[in-house]
Amino acid sequence: MSDTSESEGHMDVFAELKKILKELLDLEDRELTPETLLIQDLGAESIDLLELAVTINSRFKIAVKDDEIFLKRFRLYSTDAKKQGKDAVHFLAGRYPFLGEDRIAEIMAHIKEGPQLKIRDLISYVTYRSQGA
Amino acid sequence: MNLHFSGNRALILGGTCELALALAHAMIESNLFPILACRDDKGLSAIREALASFHGRYATCYLNFGDRDSLDSTFIQIGDDLSFLVDFAQGNYESLIAGADEDIVYSYFMENISFRAEVLKRVGRAMLKKRKGRLVYISSAAASRPNPGQGFYAAAKLASEALYRNMGLELGERGVTTVILRPGYIEAGRGRIYLQKQDRKILEMTPIKRAITGEEIVQTILFLLSDSAAGINATEICMDGGLTSGK
Repeated sequence: MSDTSESEGHMDVFAELKKILKELLDLEDRELTPETLLIQDLGAESIDLLELAVTINSRFKIAVKDDEIFLKRFRLYSTDAKKQGKDAVHFLAGRYPFLGEDRIAEIMAHIKEGPQLKIRDLISYVTYRSQGA
Repeated sequence: MNLHFSGNRALILGGTCELALALAHAMIESNLFPILACRDDKGLSAIREALASFHGRYATCYLNFGDRDSLDSTFIQIGDDLSFLVDFAQGNYESLIAGADEDIVYSYFMENISFRAEVLKRVGRAMLKKRKGRLVYISSAAASRPNPGQGFYAAAKLASEALYRNMGLELGERGVTTVILRPGYIEAGRGRIYLQKQDRKILEMTPIKRAITGEEIVQTILFLLSDSAAGINATEICMDGGLTSGK
């Protein structure tokens, strides 16, 4: 896939995700960007995330693992990596293959500020899974 | 009482038992569309025979509790359009705790609890898409008052009740609700066999001095599925003629 078509694909996914989030979280006038944090900025609760997973599964026709897409075990894996003396970024990249190592490092740098799940992470997941991964 | 139902398609787990077949019959007469799950061809034949006069007004599917592959194919077959679930499925393992076979215990709990949790996940997600759904779990008065030898049965029932109760707590705000029915001694299926073995003497301990009839159970389930019962959520209802309320 060329850079252009990949970028267009991301835009389609982003547009659909925005639509879904606005419907589910009743965010009609809220501006959403790929950098929007789902939990900290939008106040998404666990029931919202569950409904989001179900809707993503339905709209994009992809299998969704809730623990994976919402990075639910990110802290746990990070702790596991430290306990095992492994490089945490590399270790987490194995657990979250849809995230690049740069993004994982970024999440780790801000994890103490609260859950770091962003719309761009959902885009990465949907794109990754849509490619049959 | 005229009952109104929000929805049409109802998955019935344990679809070959006497009560499930009677319920399917009553559902069809109430213009609902039951989908009866069975383990094998023998079960399928029993369903077809019992509902022979209702061709095209019900469906069947295979679901073998404990077989996770059958779960995938079942949901591919029946799809996501489900409004109701009625769960009669329950394996039986009678043994004193100290005399139990460990291998059977592990597989019994896997089939009756873990697998049920997976079924509930599938059904819950399907109902969440529509923000509407009603689940009724058929438990037993033995869940809270087991006889000796019913420890594993009671444990599985209580654990399953907990799953259903939590489902109603978690998804209630999205229109998916649950209720648990605990029948006592029933004049149907295993209950009838037990009553015959006991020469019906056990009914003397029941305040109403009789067993609950299958028809009473069926009509109660229909009520619990109806809009009239929508406020009953994440709780259990005991239907044992008062047996477990006294000493």
